[in-house]
Amino acid sequence: MSFLSLASRNLFRQRMRTALTVVGIAVGISIVVALGAITGGTRQTVGGWLHLGGADFIAARRGSADFSFSTVTEKEWSEVAAMSGVRRATGILMRVTRHGSNPYFVLMGIRPAQLAQAPPELVSGRLLARGARDEVLLGSSAASSAGAQPGSYVTIDDKRFHVVGVYRSDDVIANNGAYAPLATVQALGRSPGLVTSVFVTVAPGVDPRAIAARVEETMPTLTTVSSVDDWGKVDQGIRIMDALNLAVTVLAFGLGAVAVMNTMIMAVFERTREFGILRAVGWRGSRIMRLVLFEAVLLCLVAAIIGTALGVLATRAVLLIEAVRGILEPAYSPGIFVRAVLIASAVGIVGALYPAYRAVHLSPMEALRHE
Amino acid sequence: MSDLPAIRCVDVVKTYEEGRIRALNGMDLAVQTGEFVAVVGPSGCGKSTLLHLIAALDRPDSGEIEVAGHDLAHERRLDHYRARHVGMVFQLHNLLPTLNALENVQMPMFELGIGASERRERARHLLDLVGLRERERNRPTQLSGGERQRVAIGRALANEPTILLADEPTGSLDSDAGRSVLDLLEQIRAESKTTLVLVTHDPAIAARADRIVRMLDGRVNQQANPHTARRAVALASA
Repeated sequence: MSFLSLASRNLFRQRMRTALTVVGIAVGISIVVALGAITGGTRQTVGGWLHLGGADFIAARRGSADFSFSTVTEKEWSEVAAMSGVRRATGILMRVTRHGSNPYFVLMGIRPAQLAQAPPELVSGRLLARGARDEVLLGSSAASSAGAQPGSYVTIDDKRFHVVGVYRSDDVIANNGAYAPLATVQALGRSPGLVTSVFVTVAPGVDPRAIAARVEETMPTLTTVSSVDDWGKVDQGIRIMDALNLAVTVLAFGLGAVAVMNTMIMAVFERTREFGILRAVGWRGSRIMRLVLFEAVLLCLVAAIIGTALGVLATRAVLLIEAVRGILEPAYSPGIFVRAVLIASAVGIVGALYPAYRAVHLSPMEALRHE
Repeated sequence: MSDLPAIRCVDVVKTYEEGRIRALNGMDLAVQTGEFVAVVGPSGCGKSTLLHLIAALDRPDSGEIEVAGHDLAHERRLDHYRARHVGMVFQLHNLLPTLNALENVQMPMFELGIGASERRERARHLLDLVGLRERERNRPTQLSGGERQRVAIGRALANEPTILLADEPTGSLDSDAGRSVLDLLEQIRAESKTTLVLVTHDPAIAARADRIVRMLDGRVNQQANPHTARRAVALASA
């Protein structure tokens, strides 16, 4: 008989209590996993978005609460484009609107000539024609949802567009959105002369950081973003999600630790006499402490496995909602699962520390007298 | 038997409830290596307390207790001492209810750094010794009182103890089971030359010891020759 089988057998003594504790912790872990997957997915989406069309960084309005609120004037855009070392500066105006059942459909206004310089992967049809006003290039998910294909027509924001092509993108927002001529999108949004951001690609051999620094220096009201970690400069969404993630993790940790403490205190109290017997046959206090901690960690690891499975299932279930599917693609990185295991282990250890201390603080004789 | 005592108690005092109860009151005792000593006396005279102090389950308030070279009043690692030198048999078997006989016997071996397979083999051998090899998969609730006590004896021998302490081991058994348990203890003690200290109320059991220590009010009142005791028992039962 190993230490592991001894610990696991103890957990099965009070099956209902153990099961309820596992369920409680598993729910906490599932929320942590689900939020982690969603945050990870969002970061991945933002990462993909930042480097749209092979851009090295983007320039947008400093301090924007949401990226879609950023406005860069065409004059500023031209100044960025004119900087030495800049190979390409593509202005894109984002317009978030409802299309079909997707309330977060992103219509991206872009000059057709610039789209042609760094085109998305075409699935069918062609790119936007120069000078066209009512053409649209649909992402494959958007086309599929709308049942559209090249040659058909779709109505976006009360404007009828001729679908000229369908593209595929790894970015969930782009894949559920569309490209349309910049002038048309500016007219729809009543924002003439404005773009949301400028996607900058530097010339070969030029350090993008040097160009980004120059943009910020010459245009202090603009900021540059080259990585997901900088995204908070132009959008508070990820920061809010990160904060939410941390808050939920702390809550799950705290509540989980209390649940474990409650379960283990009861288990220790019921088994006080047994701990006395083990001390009487020579077990060190530290071994008994390890046994209690081991039982708690084991319980939490079972909860971590169940919670992780629940978290994955929950995010998959959420994706059944079309509105969510249009903006969200959870990312199940190994880090999320490692974090779940680490949190569960920490919950087990922290929750069982006091019960473990209680298990060994009595003298063997006191423990043996315990009824 | 060696001339050096296996157990030496000098002027041992142990009190409870802030000194109101004086369980041991200047107890002196020396037990030789390999000796079988029966401790008798009325309830509350301190017999069990003496045994618990020798087993290092508790510490004396004052006085000296020396066992196998360990000064128990000042020893820092009492658990280490218990794990290597003491085999304890309680009146109530004190087996762990969730473990079967084989697993219960293995418990003391965890502290001895013995691997799982060797633990299992040694436990089987000990169950063989106490005549319960075929009951190794049974939990305490599936065993009779006598069988439980036999398993407890197997467990007490698991660490090959220097001293074997038995606190009224037959107290909760019927006479047949009690006799059988006592026969087993005597057999083990004879084969392994282990020092055996046994607490009992039963004069017939005490009469089987090498020496009888009678306690009263927390100290030795009288040390009897077993032949005298046996004669007394024979007379009493005649």
